[in-house]
Amino acid sequence: MWTTYFLIFLTLVLGIGAYLLFVWSVRKNQYDDVEGPKYRMLDDDDDTQTKEVK
Amino acid sequence: MVFVSECNHCMLSFPEREAVCDEIDGKTLVFCCNGCRGIYRLIHEEGLDRFYERRDWKETATGAALEIIQPDASLFDGLVRDIPPATPEDNTLLKEIDLYVGNIRCASCIWLNERILSKTDGVVYARLNYATHMARIRWNPEKTCIGTIVNRIASIGYIPRPYTESARYKAQRAEARDLLVRFGTAAFLSSNLMIYSIALYAGYFQGFDTKIKLFLEFISLLLTIPVLFYSGMPFIKSTLSGLTSLNFTMDSLITVGSGSAFIYSIYSLFTGGEVYFDTSAMIITLILLGRYIEAVAKGKASMTIEMLSELIPKEARRVIPGEQSGDSSESEMVPVTSVKKGDFLLVRPGERIPLDGMVISGESEVDESFITGESKPVFKSGGREVIGGSMNMFGSVVFEVKHTDKETMLSKIIESVIEAQATKPRIQNMADRVVAFFVPAIIVISLLTVFLYLFNGASLNSALMTGVSVLVIACPCSLGLSTPLAVMICSGIASSKGILLKNGEVIENIVRLGGVVFDKTGTITTGKPMLKKTVLLDSSICADELLKVAASLEKYSEHSAGYAISEAAKGIDKYEVAGFKAVPGRGVEGDLGGVRVYVGNREYMLQNGISVDEEPGSSIVSSEAEGHTALYAGWGDRLRGIFLVADTVREEAVAAVSMIQQMGLKTVLISGDTITTTQAIAVAVGITDVIGGALPTKKRELIAALQKESGWVMMVGDGINDAPALTEAYVGIGMGRGTEIAMESADAILVRNNLEAVPFLIGLCRMTFRIIKQNIFWAFFYNIAAIPLAISGVLHPIVAAGAMSVSSLFVVFNSLRIRRCGRLIS
Repeated sequence: MWTTYFLIFLTLVLGIGAYLLFVWSVRKNQYDDVEGPKYRMLDDDDDTQTKEVK
Repeated sequence: MVFVSECNHCMLSFPEREAVCDEIDGKTLVFCCNGCRGIYRLIHEEGLDRFYERRDWKETATGAALEIIQPDASLFDGLVRDIPPATPEDNTLLKEIDLYVGNIRCASCIWLNERILSKTDGVVYARLNYATHMARIRWNPEKTCIGTIVNRIASIGYIPRPYTESARYKAQRAEARDLLVRFGTAAFLSSNLMIYSIALYAGYFQGFDTKIKLFLEFISLLLTIPVLFYSGMPFIKSTLSGLTSLNFTMDSLITVGSGSAFIYSIYSLFTGGEVYFDTSAMIITLILLGRYIEAVAKGKASMTIEMLSELIPKEARRVIPGEQSGDSSESEMVPVTSVKKGDFLLVRPGERIPLDGMVISGESEVDESFITGESKPVFKSGGREVIGGSMNMFGSVVFEVKHTDKETMLSKIIESVIEAQATKPRIQNMADRVVAFFVPAIIVISLLTVFLYLFNGASLNSALMTGVSVLVIACPCSLGLSTPLAVMICSGIASSKGILLKNGEVIENIVRLGGVVFDKTGTITTGKPMLKKTVLLDSSICADELLKVAASLEKYSEHSAGYAISEAAKGIDKYEVAGFKAVPGRGVEGDLGGVRVYVGNREYMLQNGISVDEEPGSSIVSSEAEGHTALYAGWGDRLRGIFLVADTVREEAVAAVSMIQQMGLKTVLISGDTITTTQAIAVAVGITDVIGGALPTKKRELIAALQKESGWVMMVGDGINDAPALTEAYVGIGMGRGTEIAMESADAILVRNNLEAVPFLIGLCRMTFRIIKQNIFWAFFYNIAAIPLAISGVLHPIVAAGAMSVSSLFVVFNSLRIRRCGRLIS
């Protein structure tokens, strides 16, 4: 019986974790350019790649 | 036979004799112009040839010779930010800017820009946003400067533009983000909720421990609360505010559906019935998804419009008092708002005149077509009035400001636009109209159910709950998706054809049109004069020779008619010219092999002792009446020939107009030009209804009258003078090269200025509207079909969930059909 309760508890924890990740990504402007990544991953010439600035 | 080659850079097809050839790495390449050659060389030298393999262009770039415009770096200065060093050891101070890069067409353009920028010495970071074409660039101010950076972008043919986010766009972005968080929250909770609901469904069929059932139901309740009261809050608020006026909207339907499911479930939780928490949450989730799609599309459109808009000058050159004589006068840049009546302003060639006034000194030709619709440039000298917003073509002019602020012609037109906007009836979209009837109807059905049960002797509780269950099943949650999804796909297809839809309503409005009204200058015509006809008056030379002589002179002139002659003589070798002189408003002269040649208007000829009496009067005069400008060329006291220059009809105009007529729509041509000029153009494109001599403010009245008489019309226009009419018309379509105000007032923009997009858009919208109607029908169908189950009291949550998923899937797949039909139309 306790396994059912435990699994339900687990789904909630995992779900909330995913939700917080989503809220974080919206805050970090991850959704501002949804077009770009699909092209950028095809750019393989790393030698000319822009240096990322932190 | 003309041999045609294709430019190796921009893929434009052009006559072979105009080719610019260049040898790069042993290969001979052809280009349509030197601009393209320069860019090809630059890209090649940077080792970025892969651009040409990568790019995915289906058509040629500009359609005209490429011009590289040197950007004014001072415009960007105010936007540069300081970036503090990332670590304390590294004390290089960096600078950063966000700017907009115009002319981007595909992913390779982004790639090229990023590479070119990051290869610039001193640039440490360069990244472009694929969706918005905004670049964020960071650089070391000791090694490079903003001027170098913007020039670098311009050197490969893209247009860097300073960009500051407008308050409206900021608000739109904030709204989209708010919806995204609300939708994300709802989606996360609903999907979790679905897991427990499936357990509950399974339990219903297989038998279930009551304790576990209660526990699962209780968790479902906890998960539904935030969906309803956080994600669904905007709907609840708007329903409450609409309650007093008995105004039923989509929001009220959602609140009624979701809220009744919630209340019913809480009641069941305590009495042991079935719960509908999943239905309650899913309704809100799906509607929010629809709203989010709408918000994103709207934000994208308004961003593009902001970028396309030609700026009305916000700064003016004020002549420092006491020194306003001559061209060398001292001037300072001041904001237009600080200019007072009586100030003297200097306007340089190629600049827009900021305010209304009277010319004090200097001579120039001014393009007033934006305001007046008159296609010919107007000559301005001392004492003549100028209109704010018009373009100064050549020659510096000092003028005294006569009107500022609200009194200018421009402000009056804008006022008229606002007035038209306020009086424009807002037509509810299809879904909203259905909802307005549907909500009261289901409330009545639900009340009838309650009475029926009470009448048959059921307890009050069970009667009420059966009534609520009717409300639960009646709310079609895919309704919220039915329109936005179709609109999104339709806008996507439209934008790939260069049509920008500002809102979804335009789709339904286009379907109801009875006619299309075209503006003449800049819409049906190109707005640029072209050489139409050459009249040779000297039998000793040939027409080509005459053109060659005139073009040799006009090469140096910036006069618009002169431009037409140089364009016509493109690719022909020119003569050497000595002693060139241009007289604004009259003509040009110069020595060609020792002979003084004059090219200009009639007065100019007479003034220089060339008799124009033997001209073949009638044909020229009638041509003048048709809107042609006659340019006379003469030397040695004799008139040698006449060039007729006129605004030309866009290539695709005839086809576009006939396609629209085939669609059963009436076509009308409207213009500020004289009736004869307008008539001539109308005949050329096959339009029979003509309205000429329409003043900007009158255009709006004419549209209003036309709409009263022959139903809703679409207006296609580009100038400031069209703006009030664009707003007044049921559907306004602006040209992409038009003015800010015209684009603001339009519902859709033809980004590529291609008129064939108009019939395409009409066809696409008719198609989309059919799909929307089907979507709405099927969104309601499953739910309405389940209402009898609710009335008879055998409704189970799984039926609600089933109706929801089946209708949602139907709406999604049906909307996707638009894509296939879009291909069929084109």
